[in-house]
Parts: sequence; structure tokens; C-alpha cells
Amino acid sequence: MNLGTIFSLSTLLNTVNTSTIVILAALGCLMTDQAGIMCIGIDGMIIIGAFAGAMGSWLCGSWVMGLVFALAAGLLSGLFYGVLVIRYHSDEFIIGVAFNLFAQALTTFLLRTLIGQSGSFHPTTGEVVKIPVLQLGRVGDTQVQISIMVLLAWFLVLAMWVFLYKTPQGFWLHASGEHPESLRSVGRSPEKQRYFASLGCGLLCTLAGAYLSMGYLSTFTENMSASKGYVAVACVIFGRSNPLIVFFATLLFGFIEAAGLRMQGFIDPTLTATFPYVGTILMMVFLALRQRTRRGHRAAK
Amino acid sequence: MSDARKKYLLSLFSSILMALVIGAVIMAVSGHNPLEGYAVLITGAFGSERSIGNTLYKTAQLCITGIATAVASQGGIFNVGGEGQMYLGAIASCWLGAALNGTSPWLAIPLCLLAAILAGALYAWIPAILKIKLNISEVITTILMNSIAIYFCTYLANGPLKTTEKGIVSGTASLDRAFRFSRLIKGSNLTQTVFMIAVVTLLVWYLMSRTTTGFGMKLTGENSRFARYAGLNAGMLGILGMLISGAMCGMLGMFECFGLQTRFKTDFSNEFYFDGMLVAMIMQYRPLGIILMSFFFGALKIGAVSMQSQTGISSELILIIQSVIIFFMAAQEGLLASLGRHSSARRANRMRGGVKS
Repeated sequence: MNLGTIFSLSTLLNTVNTSTIVILAALGCLMTDQAGIMCIGIDGMIIIGAFAGAMGSWLCGSWVMGLVFALAAGLLSGLFYGVLVIRYHSDEFIIGVAFNLFAQALTTFLLRTLIGQSGSFHPTTGEVVKIPVLQLGRVGDTQVQISIMVLLAWFLVLAMWVFLYKTPQGFWLHASGEHPESLRSVGRSPEKQRYFASLGCGLLCTLAGAYLSMGYLSTFTENMSASKGYVAVACVIFGRSNPLIVFFATLLFGFIEAAGLRMQGFIDPTLTATFPYVGTILMMVFLALRQRTRRGHRAAK
Repeated sequence: MSDARKKYLLSLFSSILMALVIGAVIMAVSGHNPLEGYAVLITGAFGSERSIGNTLYKTAQLCITGIATAVASQGGIFNVGGEGQMYLGAIASCWLGAALNGTSPWLAIPLCLLAAILAGALYAWIPAILKIKLNISEVITTILMNSIAIYFCTYLANGPLKTTEKGIVSGTASLDRAFRFSRLIKGSNLTQTVFMIAVVTLLVWYLMSRTTTGFGMKLTGENSRFARYAGLNAGMLGILGMLISGAMCGMLGMFECFGLQTRFKTDFSNEFYFDGMLVAMIMQYRPLGIILMSFFFGALKIGAVSMQSQTGISSELILIIQSVIIFFMAAQEGLLASLGRHSSARRANRMRGGVKS
């Protein structure tokens, strides 16, 4: 095995593609984290988005309608999370974990009941129309193509950074998590900011799901989110909710997964499948250790 | 009965009722008769000797996984990783069991049990130590470690530990017939392991609610700083809860393989741990409640299987019903507060009047 096969152009493309799912979901998660109601339920939102997207795209024969379906489901999921956590003060962790199990069961139930298929979705007529891909020509023997969702995700990272750090609305969102009472004292409702965050989280996560079932793949599979939502949460914790650092963390995750795929010729694929998860845990350990030594330095001073 | 407990029981039963109604609505919307659906479900759970056996075994399974969730939570750690701990316990015991083929079961079974317990506990120790020492969220690490364990065990069962027997595509070498647990009711899943599960469940229940260690764990889980001021080793107690939890999951992994399979198979579990975890969450980690409600949810789960085969209603419906119960239970305080805001204001007025007179 030489390093050339791992650090190749196609690995880079794979990195970009796989990380996009995590980027979009992480952007949603960090909005709720900024508002002080961190959503663990994003894995469930991803799978709901994947299901709604695939169904919309298949039923209407257009990827735009797929996105519309997914985003509508996202608004509903975000509203559901918001009402339970903000209005009824439910525990975020319990709701998050229960929501993930609920979403998995619901999408599986719907696939089996509405379509009558189990495992994965194989339409007998029509197909799941994919989100368009930009052809950027050939380099060597690799066809360079990037889904427009990848570009959208990158744009959203920048937009989120500008929103959070350069606009008053972003400041209010942050304040609703950090100092809700001060926000209230200047006449702004922290609850409103939190609803905004959970709706945004729903939209971004279902967008990630739609990309999963209509861009990265072109079908819906039961449990296809494969804990990527939890990876996104880990990336948000790692990047302390700063979109740019979170983006870096998701790219790192994407690279580990893509490198794992490249190594399948040398190492058993079921073993390389563990790499992204091991990598995510190591990333969190690294961050925690660094924070601890920093704290130690500060104490020594 | 205390007021708080009465309120809790009331909200529990109303949540279950509402969730069952929602389940009925889902059945009706998907074109089935809900009454027929629930009727088939009940006969599916209790209709024959075989189905009663299956229901009892499912109850035992929910008890041990539910108590495993609860014991870790009592120490303040939310173990979402029981599935992975179960896989490691299963493969460790099956590997050792196959290596000991031909020896006395009196030697082999205790050793395999030890291997399963150690593997499960060790795998639970990692997220526990990360949480206690480095404050890394255990929900994330445990759920990611589930995926790692399942992939890793799949790799082992298809690679280094794969059986050399002919005609077997995947799985470890088969276990000696003398090592396998026999079934108590023919054709059902009820095996001798149910007694061991009962003993372990009761022991851990006793530890949790009747010993100082259990009380210390409870203090730690509720407020670790307070527990530390009270002179308790909060970190140790948190880790202890996770070790017991992991050990129980590892043990169940062994029981599944030695009782129902003949070897380690990669698909021996169908997310069994999460079923028990949901019961524990519904019962808010109260051990006695978990043991009692396991029977109800065990019957639902087993009934759902025949409901699926007879009426075509997917058994996932039960998972939906369970998570809806959790949503209701988690939101109950807020729901009751917003419903009762008016009446509680009146009651407060009355109370103030009472103090004056």
C-alpha cells in the first residue's frame, strides 16, 4: 500500500462528498447549541429528510420537489423539537435520543406500509431523481464531479459564520443561549430565538438527509443515517460551535471515511468502516486533553 | 402513596393510553382495523404456550437491559452503548466456548460467563472513564462505540474467528452441545437463562435500592459535586454503575448466543438493548417499575411480530408507540403546568386563605 493511493484526487472527492452530510447536519446542530438547547436528535432529522426527499423526488419526478418535501419535514421536526424542549421544558437529551429512535422506526414503518418494501427502496416505476452534479472535466483518469449540494453546504458554512458573528440576529441567537435574561432585559424574547434555532436545525438536517438519499446515493435505506448525526454532534462539540472549526472537523471526518474506503483493498472493509467512528472519538479525546493542559497552564500562571 | 408518585403513575398511564390511541390512529390511517390489530397483538403474545414462552423471555430480556440502563443512569452516566457491549460479550464468550469444546460444561460455562462479563464491562469502562476524567459526553461516545463494536465483531466472525465448518458462511465455530442452554417450552425462546437473568436483575435491583453503594450512586447521579462534598468517591461510583451495566449487557450477549443460537452470529441481536433502554426511559430509571413494565412491553413486542405476519402492520409500530410515550412523559411537567396553570392559581389562592385562618 502506498500513500499515493490514499492521498489521491478521488479520495479528495470522496472526502468532499461524505463530509457534506455531516457539515449540513452540524450547521443545524450548532444553531441549537448557540441557543443553549443542543439537539442530539439530528440523526433522526437526517433520516426523516432522507425519506421525505426520496419520496418527493420519486413521486413528483423532480429533485426540486424532493427538496421541498424534505424541507417541509424539516420544519415539522424542528417545530416538534422546539415545542417539546422550549414550550414544555423537556430534557433535551431524552427527547433527542427518543427522537432518533422514533424517526428510525417511523421511516421504516412508512417504507414498509406505504411502499410495501423493506430494507431499501426500489421503485418499480420511475426513479429517485438525483440532485444535479457539476461536471468539472477530467484530471488524469478521474472524472471530477461535484454535487451542487456540496457547493451549497460550503456557502452555508460561510453564511452561518457571517450570520453568527457579524449580524445582530446572530448575536441575539448566541445571547439566548448564554444570557437569556440579559436578552430579555433588552426586550427580545429568548424563546423566539430558540424556536428560530430549532426550525433552522430541522431544515439543515433534513437538507443533509435529502443529499444522502438524492445526491450521495439515489435511494432510501432503512437506518441509512448510520449515526452520522452523532458524528455531527461530536464535530460541533469539537469546534465549540464555531462554523469554521466545525467545518474543519467534518472535513477531517470525511477524509478518514474516504481514506478507509481507499484502503479496502488492503484491509477488510468491515474493519475500515470503524475508522470514522474511532477517529471521531479520538478527536474528542484530543480536544479534551488539550483543553485540560490549557487550563493547567492558566492555573500555573 | 405519596402525592408525587400518584401524579407520576397518573401521567404514566395517561401517556400509555394516549400512545396506544395514536397507534390505533396510525393503524386506521394505513388502512387496518385498529381493534383487530390490537386483538391479534394480544393473541400473538398469549395465545399459545409457545407465545407465552416468547413473551416471558422478552420480558426477561427487557428487564436485564432496562436495569442495565438504570444502574448506569443512577451513577449519572447515560449508557446508550449496551448494544456494543452485548456484541463484545457475545463474541468473547463464543470464542472461548468454542476453544473449550469437549471440556466439562461446569468448567466452560463459568469461564465463558466471566469472559462475557469482562468484555462487556471493559467496553463500558472506556466511555465511563472518558466522561469522568475528561468530561466527554457519554451519549456520543457510547453510540459511536456501538457501530465500532458491531463492525469489529462482524469482521472477527467473517475473518480471523470464522468457523472452518463446511456450509457456514459467517459466524464463529459452533459450541459444544453440552454448553448450550435448553429450552423450557418447546419451540419458544424461553431458555434456562431466564433464571440467571432473574437472579442478576434482582441482585442489581437490590444493590440500587437497598444498599449504601446504591444510595451513593444515586447521590452521584443527581449531584456529583454534592456527593463529593459528602465524602463520596463520585468518579468511582459513576464508573461502577457503567461497569455493572456493561457486565449485564455482555452477559445477555452470551445468553443469546448460548441459548438461542449455536454460535456467534452477526445478526443475533435486533437492537435488543434499545428496547430495554426505552422501557427504562419510560419508567424514569426506577428499577421496580422497569421490572413490572417489562412484562407489558414484552407482550407488546412479541404480539407485534404476529400482528405483522397476520395483518401486515409493521412491528415498528411498537417502537413508535414507545417513543411517543417517552415524548409525553418528558413533556408531562410542562404539559401539566400549562393545562393546570389556571386551576393551580386557584388552589394557591385557597391555600393562602387556609394559612390565614
